[in-house]
Amino acid sequence: MALIELQELTFRYPGAAADTLTPVSLSVADSAAFALLGASGAGKTTLLNLLSGLLRPTSGRILFNGEDVSTWAGRQRNVAQVFQFPVLYESMNVADNLAFPLRARKFQAAAIKQRVEVIASELNITDQLGHKASQLSLFQKQLIAIGRALVRPDVSVVLLDEPLTAVEPKMKWRLRRTLRRVQEELGVTMIYVTHDQTEALTFADQVAVMGDGKVLQVDTPERIYNRPLHEFVGYFIGSPGMNFVPSEQLHSSLSLVPGTKRIGFRPEWATLHAQNSAHINGRVTAQQLQGTDGGGLVGVQRLATEAGDLAVRGNLQAQVGQTVGVRLEQYLCFSQQGQLLVTPHE
Amino acid sequence: MNKPYNNKAWLGVLPVLLIVAFSGVIPLMTVVNYSVQDILDFNSRFFVGFQWYTDTLQDPRFIDAFLRQLGFSASVLLLEIPLGLMLARGMPRQGLAASLLLVLLAIPLLIPWNVVGTIWQLFARSDIGLLGVSLNALGFSFNYTANPTHAWLTLLAMDIWHWTSLVTLLAFAGLTSVPPAYYQAAELDGASKWQVFRYVELPRLKGVLVIAVLLRLMDSFMIYTEPFVLTGGGPGNATTFLSQHLATMAVGQFDLGPAAAFSVIYFLFILLFCWIFYSSVMRNND
Amino acid sequence: MLHLHHTRLAPDAEAFEHEFASGTLNVVLGRNRSGKTNLCRLIAGLNCSAKGDINLDGEMISSLRPQARSVAVVFQAFVNYPNWTVAQNIASPMRAQGVARKNCSARVNQLAEVLGLENLLQRLPNELSGGQQQRLAIARALAQQARVLLLDEPLVNLDYKLREALVLELQGLLQQTDTTVIYTTTDPKDAFALGDQVLLLDDHCKLQAGSPLEVYQRPVGFIAADLMSDPGVNAFVTPATLVAAARHAAVRPEHVHLSAEALGSEFSSFDMQVQGQETSGDETFIHGMVDGNRWVIRRPGMVSVTPGQRLSVSVRTDDILRFGVA
Repeated sequence: MALIELQELTFRYPGAAADTLTPVSLSVADSAAFALLGASGAGKTTLLNLLSGLLRPTSGRILFNGEDVSTWAGRQRNVAQVFQFPVLYESMNVADNLAFPLRARKFQAAAIKQRVEVIASELNITDQLGHKASQLSLFQKQLIAIGRALVRPDVSVVLLDEPLTAVEPKMKWRLRRTLRRVQEELGVTMIYVTHDQTEALTFADQVAVMGDGKVLQVDTPERIYNRPLHEFVGYFIGSPGMNFVPSEQLHSSLSLVPGTKRIGFRPEWATLHAQNSAHINGRVTAQQLQGTDGGGLVGVQRLATEAGDLAVRGNLQAQVGQTVGVRLEQYLCFSQQGQLLVTPHE
Repeated sequence: MNKPYNNKAWLGVLPVLLIVAFSGVIPLMTVVNYSVQDILDFNSRFFVGFQWYTDTLQDPRFIDAFLRQLGFSASVLLLEIPLGLMLARGMPRQGLAASLLLVLLAIPLLIPWNVVGTIWQLFARSDIGLLGVSLNALGFSFNYTANPTHAWLTLLAMDIWHWTSLVTLLAFAGLTSVPPAYYQAAELDGASKWQVFRYVELPRLKGVLVIAVLLRLMDSFMIYTEPFVLTGGGPGNATTFLSQHLATMAVGQFDLGPAAAFSVIYFLFILLFCWIFYSSVMRNND
Repeated sequence: MLHLHHTRLAPDAEAFEHEFASGTLNVVLGRNRSGKTNLCRLIAGLNCSAKGDINLDGEMISSLRPQARSVAVVFQAFVNYPNWTVAQNIASPMRAQGVARKNCSARVNQLAEVLGLENLLQRLPNELSGGQQQRLAIARALAQQARVLLLDEPLVNLDYKLREALVLELQGLLQQTDTTVIYTTTDPKDAFALGDQVLLLDDHCKLQAGSPLEVYQRPVGFIAADLMSDPGVNAFVTPATLVAAARHAAVRPEHVHLSAEALGSEFSSFDMQVQGQETSGDETFIHGMVDGNRWVIRRPGMVSVTPGQRLSVSVRTDDILRFGVA
């Protein structure tokens, strides 16, 4: 369990033209559930490898509980990692797999046995301790990999690299809940790297959204969703993401913060009305059904407007081809550079 | 029921079947035929049943050659497999150095076998061979033509030089298939180098090692050219292995009947060893 | 029209019949190992343990080699010819059909533009990102102009946001052609987004077929209901009923309302013991127990609950799904 700090961290692959990570500064509290969210190529895997010791930073420092570990090898940092597919010692049984990190560090046999039992009961795999690791399902194997990562009582941080990738869709929920429960009960600092916003927002107390080698926002899931500090964060979070409209294209009845170049609103912050009472006018181009609510159909309607293509979520009232107006119940103002401007509305 | 069925595939297999029949199956059947007959010349043959088989199995020279052969194959396996593995682990996985090393390793495998024997025969000579002269200069009185132990050691050295590369190349291919994540996980777990070998690499090399052991076992059991060229079976019959003994019987003495029986026994032994090894390893895998 | 007779997706599975109408977008929905890939391989003519009679527009194609069938496939893994450029890859089916090189370029350019690859025509596949490689595979499949296009979970190896964008693109793209499209997936969202018709598979058997809304509102059984919900559907078993009555009624997570929101005679109320919650920004999932069953509720927006809290929830009577004997 450790407080992790990254100070002005940069990294460039040898022979690359530009930095993969532009100066990144981040702080992960002790015993926190932290998520690193970004698309492929955003730099999150690089950041993970810098934390685990696989890569050395080009500049900047990494601190664990105040100690500079930037040049330390992986085994010295006392970190553990869970990979995208279950990485186990296939020739051993489950109990030996869990005990391996403790045996490698020369713990006492009695202490090892006890710790393995604690972790096994935490993950509800006590009845599988004698089974051979290679005979289990993917879900169980990944549980064992997580157990192995947790087994050291003094582990500084557990790094999870898209751990649900290999697991069946129905089991992803169970594994996610197990991870969250275990994280809270054991108080382990966990950093969860993913490109899936649902995984990040459901797992973590704090989410860092990365884009293009930069950390764009670090915040609670609610604030990341409701108050994205950057247009990219607004677009990336939410399915579909935020709609952006140039401010000149809007009806003048909306009050805007000075310096606003674009308005952003989430699909569920808008409703469809008749054209004369709307802020933006457009035509319905497609409808995406998502279910029913109170007997009526709900989903996402896609519109073509003078301000671009928009998505609105709610009851599917209009028909495809119909001209409609969009009323914004809630919106945010963004500057020319895409930064959030403080708005009087919420 | 309605799976696309392609009969033309049989046409492609037919030439191979014919060739294997002529070059392998029919000669084998001929040998089995000879092994149950006493052949004096083309016209006088007598059916003798299993007499040649019992004679051969009780022949002291056969038993000696067989024991020598077992010793040789066992030594070869015990030395070459670990050595090949160690070399494969020590090699870089990628880059120019890896490619160069792979080429160097392949060279001994490409040399004709009688040339290998000739190279070592000259190399180990105590009068003009580099190895022989150096050893004698260091104080060992090395002479592989006169001393049976020296002959064995030279033979083993030659075989290791010739064939370890095969084990190395196979093991190298197996090692490159280990995903880097396993090494990384072992590093973070704090595993020692031995633990990495034992728990990460060895389980994954199992398939490859089975192939390597099978190949070396069969080949070393059948070895003929290299020891024949190097020592001629000597000094005395210290390095006369099964194949050479057989050749002497069949070609030198023209005892076709006993030689044929010997051949069949030889063939069955090799088949037996390989079957034992293969099924015991495959049983462990299930 | 693609008609499947006496089809068994596994040697010991039940035989079924199914019809895919021409020009429709069909989504095959099922869990892992439910037979979706076997179905694709059977229609394409590839080696698999599935057997069946396949009739395409009146002719029996079951005994034809894959090359002779008018079927194009896009696989899960990005499959492209690695040593040919993007342009050559897209042209490859046309060249295989005997079209001269100079006549291919018009169609190649058109397909590249439709799939956003027009600036990458001279690149090799390994220089492209995952999303671009899969778009190339789709372009190559479309270039074949086959009567049937099979996509076997094509977006599962892509990033979340990329998947979202491609599903939208695919919807527009595939509706324009008159090819019969069959798209397999494990995600019910894809069924809604892409499907004119949905086919539900479970354990190599056909469960149900129909439009997404039909299958959603009137599932034939518990598993059919479960497949169209993510997370799975909530089972209804009160302690008073028999064990055999289990899985005879269910309600979807999105149809469970917090009692504070919904009151009225058409609602039934239940008590939920909250165990935990998860939020993905636009939705909140509340996990808990109701009458001894594990339930998950899905509400829009952010809802705040504490573990251990007793929450009153309501379900509209019309939203309760009943199957079999009530």
